[in-house]
Amino acid sequence: MYQQQQQQQPLPDEDLAYTVLSDLKRVVREYATAATESTCPTVRQMFTNLLNSTLKMQGDLFQAMQSQNMYSTASPALRQELDKQIKEYSQTQQKTSQWLQQRLGGSQQGFGSFAPYQHQSHQQHQSNQHQPYYS
Amino acid sequence: MLQPITAKELEYIADSLSNEDLLMKQNALLAASASNQALRQIGQQMLHTHQQHYQTLMQSFQQHQSMAPTQPQH
Repeated sequence: MYQQQQQQQPLPDEDLAYTVLSDLKRVVREYATAATESTCPTVRQMFTNLLNSTLKMQGDLFQAMQSQNMYSTASPALRQELDKQIKEYSQTQQKTSQWLQQRLGGSQQGFGSFAPYQHQSHQQHQSNQHQPYYS
Repeated sequence: MLQPITAKELEYIADSLSNEDLLMKQNALLAASASNQALRQIGQQMLHTHQQHYQTLMQSFQQHQSMAPTQPQH
């Protein structure tokens, strides 16, 4: 049975599907580049539509391959790695939040959406040190 | 609003036509020769979508044809 398929097929199913998948990924990138470099709004809109359509096909094909067990997904990230990144980027967010307050003075209320992720009370205390004297 | 097409846009559209042409052929193979039914079906659908993409790109050439200058402009 398998032998018979091998003779009829130009490539095994997995290879054929993978070839299409990788070309779809490449074309998604090219449409994104083309959209960002377009001058004419009509041309930009066309590339944006083609990008979305191609991205959807890539997603559908990936799902189909995964459900046929043709695609081994990368192993899950470890909890400690995730914890480490959360810690690091919470600090980055806190520093940037303070930097923004220094730059923008009293108008920082508008940046409430960029509130640090955790250590809320700690952040409050720290940011007080950097409040402009007139606020 | 339609503007004359730039040389860069022309290149991107031409490259995109080559890409769509290749994907049509690859999907025709998938639709015709995959042993898996689900893959044959998705290949058929994608073939159709790439044909539409090709038409869209060709139309954008035609839309801009009349506005394109015949002399180099600086």
